[in-house]
Amino acid sequence: MMHWTILLAAEAAEAAGEKGGLFDIDATMPLMAIQFLVLVVLLNLLFYKPLGKVLDDRSAYIRNNQADAQERLSKAENLAKQYEKDLTDTRRQAQAVVAEAEAEAQKIAAQQIAAAQAEAQAQREQAQQELDRQKQEAMQSLEQQVDSLSRQILDKLLGAAG
Amino acid sequence: MALLDVPNLFHSLPLAELEVGKQFYWHVGNFNLHGQVFIVSWFVIGLLLIAAVLGSRSTQMVPTGFQNFMEYALEFIRDLAKNQIGEKDYRPWVPFVGTLFLFIFVSNWSGALVPWKLVHLPEGELAAPTSDINTTIALALLTSLAYFYAGFSKKGLGYFGNYVQPVAFMLPFKIIEDFTKPLSLSFRLFGNILADELVVGVLVLLVPLFIPLPVMALGLFTSAIQALIFATLAAAYIGEAMEDHGEGHEEH
Repeated sequence: MMHWTILLAAEAAEAAGEKGGLFDIDATMPLMAIQFLVLVVLLNLLFYKPLGKVLDDRSAYIRNNQADAQERLSKAENLAKQYEKDLTDTRRQAQAVVAEAEAEAQKIAAQQIAAAQAEAQAQREQAQQELDRQKQEAMQSLEQQVDSLSRQILDKLLGAAG
Repeated sequence: MALLDVPNLFHSLPLAELEVGKQFYWHVGNFNLHGQVFIVSWFVIGLLLIAAVLGSRSTQMVPTGFQNFMEYALEFIRDLAKNQIGEKDYRPWVPFVGTLFLFIFVSNWSGALVPWKLVHLPEGELAAPTSDINTTIALALLTSLAYFYAGFSKKGLGYFGNYVQPVAFMLPFKIIEDFTKPLSLSFRLFGNILADELVVGVLVLLVPLFIPLPVMALGLFTSAIQALIFATLAAAYIGEAMEDHGEGHEEH
């Protein structure tokens, strides 16, 4: 088998010298170049241009859609932020109202309590005065009775004696 | 001549035979053409055109089926061109760089996957067009023209300023580079594809079953990589030719 591979190399070397062989450069070369340029033109018309246009159109379409979506997203975010702000404001207002109402109620309650206490105080004082007056009266009538009784006793004593 | 039929040993056996450097000549006027290269390249071109037509026949906003596949291919090519040439200038070069990639890729894989040996030619045999030095030189020279064109159309005569960037003594190296670029491009592709086909051919000749399979798989891999390398380098050269240097930055 070895001599065979050597033969191969020898043949190749020999071939280069004659007509034919590995390095036989002839009119194939310019014709191949022309043929290749024709292929470039044909593929440009059939392949690169139409499909390239599809690719560009698609990327433009995607870019536009994305920009659009981005815009809408930012708009929605702004709206959400606005709503959030409104909500906070409203909540704060509601709290203020509640606090105000509470304060009002407390004030009213305090007033009423104070009024009731004052009334009770007044009534108690009045009752006390009534009590005092009646006590006074009772004392006075008691005193009168004591007087009259003592005078009767005196009369009786004096009458008996006199 | 260059026919390598293993003498006596295998003659009686119906095994594969290996041919190197044997061409199927067409004579057109005074010129010789390599018929086998043109036959397979027409097959490749036909395949590409059919795929292009199928992919862009009825384009839809939401791609389905084959359109999807071709869009994937186009995006791959666009990324390749964009990475090498830059966002600003890559668009006019997508057809050239992309066709380089597609043509080389489909050529390489058609050489590896299509059983061309079943088609008998009077002389020579069908193989990947890229395993012929004429094809690779044609593609490499087109690449050279492309980057010169790119440089001159972008900067006019100011393109020659590239030769003394960043320092003046780079001039001879830059000039040599203009020759080595197409040379290395063409020989890299030619050598890789031809070597791959030869290795597979030799292995098939020695062990016809199963053993060549890993090498064939490796060949598919190398073929794809070579197509990618050729297209990437072509785009890189074009990008380099259009690159802004010193003064360009200050103008902006």
